[in-house]
Amino acid sequence: MASGAGSASRERPDGARTSVPARQGLLQRSPLLCCLCLVLCSKENFDSIPDLEFNPIRAKIVHAFFDKRNLRQESSGLADEINFEDFLTIMSYFRPIEMNMDEEQLDRFRKEKLKFLFHMYDSDHDGKITLQEYRNVVEELLSGNPHLEKESARSIADGAMMEAASICVGQMGPDQVYEGITFEDFLKMWQGIDIETKMHVRFLNMETIAHCY
Amino acid sequence: MHPPAGPAASPGPAAPPAGAELLRWQWQEVQVPCLVAAWILVASLAKIVFHLSRKVTSVVPESCLLILLGLGLGGIVLAVAKKAKYQLEPNMFFLFLLPPIVLDSGYFMPSRLFFDNIGAILTYAVVGTLWNSFTTGTALWGLHQAGLMDPGVEAGLMDFLLFGSLISAVDPVAVLAVFEEVHVNETLFIIVFGESLLNDAVTVVLYKVFNSFVELGPAHIHATDYVKGVASFFLVSLGGTAVGLLFAFLLALITRFTKRVRIIEPLFVFLLAYVAYLAAEMVSLSAILAVTFCGICCKKYVEANISQKSRTTVKYTMKTLASSSETIIFMFLGMSAVDTSKWAWDTALVLGTLLFILLFRAVGVVLQTYVLNRFRLIPLDRIDQVVMSYGGLRGAVAFALVILLDRDKVKAKDYFVATTIVVVFFTVIVQGLTIKPLVTWLKVKRSDHHKPTLNEELHEHAFDHILAAVEDIVGHHGYHYWRDKWEQFDKKYLSQLLMRKSAYRLRDEIWDVYYKLNIRDAISFVDQGGHVLSAAKLALPSMPSRTSMSESSVTNLLRESGSGACLDLQVIDTVRSRRDKEDAAMHHVLRGSLYKPRRRYKASYSRHFISPDKQERQDKEIFRQNMKRRLETFKSTKHNICSSKSKARLKEKGRKKKDISLTSDAPNGRTHRGVPWQEAAPVLVMVSSEEEESDSSETEREDDEGIVFIARATDEVLQGKATPGSLDVCPSPCIIPPSPTLAEKELPWKGDQADLAVYVSSETTKIVPVDMQKAWNQSISSLESIASPPGIETGPQHRRFACPVLEEQPQSASQAMPEQISCFQFPSHVSKSGRSLSDSSPDGVEQQELQPLMASEEQGRALPPAEPRRLMFSRASHI
Repeated sequence: MASGAGSASRERPDGARTSVPARQGLLQRSPLLCCLCLVLCSKENFDSIPDLEFNPIRAKIVHAFFDKRNLRQESSGLADEINFEDFLTIMSYFRPIEMNMDEEQLDRFRKEKLKFLFHMYDSDHDGKITLQEYRNVVEELLSGNPHLEKESARSIADGAMMEAASICVGQMGPDQVYEGITFEDFLKMWQGIDIETKMHVRFLNMETIAHCY
Repeated sequence: MHPPAGPAASPGPAAPPAGAELLRWQWQEVQVPCLVAAWILVASLAKIVFHLSRKVTSVVPESCLLILLGLGLGGIVLAVAKKAKYQLEPNMFFLFLLPPIVLDSGYFMPSRLFFDNIGAILTYAVVGTLWNSFTTGTALWGLHQAGLMDPGVEAGLMDFLLFGSLISAVDPVAVLAVFEEVHVNETLFIIVFGESLLNDAVTVVLYKVFNSFVELGPAHIHATDYVKGVASFFLVSLGGTAVGLLFAFLLALITRFTKRVRIIEPLFVFLLAYVAYLAAEMVSLSAILAVTFCGICCKKYVEANISQKSRTTVKYTMKTLASSSETIIFMFLGMSAVDTSKWAWDTALVLGTLLFILLFRAVGVVLQTYVLNRFRLIPLDRIDQVVMSYGGLRGAVAFALVILLDRDKVKAKDYFVATTIVVVFFTVIVQGLTIKPLVTWLKVKRSDHHKPTLNEELHEHAFDHILAAVEDIVGHHGYHYWRDKWEQFDKKYLSQLLMRKSAYRLRDEIWDVYYKLNIRDAISFVDQGGHVLSAAKLALPSMPSRTSMSESSVTNLLRESGSGACLDLQVIDTVRSRRDKEDAAMHHVLRGSLYKPRRRYKASYSRHFISPDKQERQDKEIFRQNMKRRLETFKSTKHNICSSKSKARLKEKGRKKKDISLTSDAPNGRTHRGVPWQEAAPVLVMVSSEEEESDSSETEREDDEGIVFIARATDEVLQGKATPGSLDVCPSPCIIPPSPTLAEKELPWKGDQADLAVYVSSETTKIVPVDMQKAWNQSISSLESIASPPGIETGPQHRRFACPVLEEQPQSASQAMPEQISCFQFPSHVSKSGRSLSDSSPDGVEQQELQPLMASEEQGRALPPAEPRRLMFSRASHI
């Protein structure tokens, strides 16, 4: 990644100051390309990725790239554009664990990854995954299968929420209201599941550089 | 096998001259099948014996015990027959014993895990096996050259390489047998096991190549032969895989059209897989690879196509076959070892082989892991490597291959056989015995068997998509990218081609998990139901967790969303207040959800007559209900509302019924709802026999169809106190063990109450938690205050009229109305309709009446008559 960035910036040192038509052209290119070339990258760049088209939760993922919470910024809300650094920040959520990490680091690492996921689900930024939000996610997840009705997606979400509630709160009192999954609950749900073994992307070959030219 | 021609032979004139031969000894004809059956029987019995003691099997792997047993049996056979018999024949092994095991492991291979680790598996299988073969062979040759071996061992480099190739392959049978008992984590298991399956291709190729080299003699080997050897490796492995895929495709396609011949569905699975094996074997491709891939690839489609029962059949048949094959293999391995005529011992060779295979495997694993870890997402740590190198067990495949050697060509065959036997025994017994303590000692991450949860499944799917998307975004075509592409392809073309329309539509992993969870719930319901009925105990650990949240406010839900849709036509002309709709909707909901308990009850009632199909349908029924319940669950998150709602719901149930009866008598009965009961109650106070309750409920059920839905439901509710059904209907968050006293205390007139009332009250208290007390009080006071409302004329009069009649016919023929029914929801109905003859518990009635009252009081709404006609009609017919 670093070498890729280096070569790209060498190639086009004036990237940030490209003219307007040039930027228009860039809109057609991949976000990585934009970022590598030090151009601010907006949502349209993401939408133009052809491979992403079939991804049922595309919107959520792209959203996550612009989520300020994921960008380690204080404020919440959505960024309009992200730069290369932001891009790398997001990507860093997907780095694999290293062999020499100690317990504490691992824990923090794990939490970071989970936080990313949590933010993806929590679309209204209130620190809770409400039933409605969860339903949206499930509906999107299942949208790839046209034969499953919305109804069943909802019932699945309901079931999952119920399960979450029973895991996190245990036996509910009669007056108790389960408003949504908080991040603590979310951590609880993930106990025993090795997220660090799943949330990785490996970038070994730098063939992506080729796209830059 | 002909039937014994005993008696038929004797009387006829055509009888052989030998004369009256009553029985003929036909051992020759049945010998082979008989022996086969006998051995299988012996092996299976031995298995039973082993498992009699848990202690032994927990320490010693079954394979060890079987080998030892084989040794013992072999000794006996040797002593009796004076020569070794019943050896493990390579032909038998490869054609009959191996395929079931491989098919089983392929079919039940966790395919996701397998393909996630395919890189590591292939590396270990191909590179690892090559490395092992060559190093072991060369090292042994070096040993031979150094003159450490007996001069009797006449072998050149090629012979040793041949031997190295057959001895270095990790054996799937042995690995499976041992690792199944050592529950290491899935990744580790899949790597070792996958390697043992896939290295077959390498082994076969190396074996064949070296065998031909040995036969040709070193002098006649040309350079092209080496090239051919390499080429044949690709041919054999890829060809075997292709054959497997081809047959997997065929199999999936065939099962798509077996809708009408469900009964032979399982047969296709076995037949085609076996044909795949034979076909690959025929053209000397890797048969193990063929069957493995056939199993892995067809599973998804086959499972979707065949029926649930066929699925179970396939599963169990496969497991049975594989398990018995495995048993026989190990037993025969032990027996074959006894045959000393094949043995030729050479200490240096044996010790050298043992040392080298252990050493080189360890070295190979470390080297490969070092390289692999640079690429793997989850690195394999040192402990994993230790287990992997130590888990490289050799088994029957090596033995069968070494037996297949041609003694004329391979001079040192006897030495090799002896060495192979020792190696196999050493790895299976010594390593098999010690690997468990080793794994414990090293604290290898064990597999955790947690139940699949919906959330986990959802998140995993989300992960897949996220990772694929990230790869898309950075334009990196990695593993996730290709998997995503494959899944799209599969969804678009393959699945549509290979799956039934019906199966394809619902094909989704999330949905599957959801379905399974639902089934599990449903089953636990039913199981529980049986218990509850007898034990009257409702606290099951699992239920509350799932149902606690499902304290669904059905009324609320229905109020929000189309309660009107549920109304049936008959009610349309009545005034439609909101309450009205709600009531009608209530009725539907109750009917819908109470359907289940009835079904269940019926099923258990006539268990012997039920065809499995019915059972299945019932499962589906329960499932559907369950789904509905889940759907409703989160309609409102306000749980305090829920609890009061559920309470209200029950009451409503009663009230509605009453309303119905009331209105049927007096169509204007809106005004005087509930009132009559005040009066009726004293009149009715009399008989309450508990004995009836159980049997009468059933008889009742049979003859009265008009009011079925509530009657059954209620009696179910009451009887079970918390049968799963009732739980389902009104899952109360806090399931209090029946405490009748609460209600009793609340009700002033409880004093003269019979036991029956207890049922009711307990039920109500259970469903209506503490905050109900107020409600009770309110309702009671309200009852008293409405002592003489305008509506008395119709209802109560009728009542008075009806009641005496009822009294005059106590406990008549059908003993029909069980107290539960009357006492719960429709007392009025019961008492009024002449047929019911119920001497039903007055208290119950009273209470029932109270409930609706309370409900209405609480909510301060008027009660509309909810679908009176239907009930009237049914009643009329009965009268």
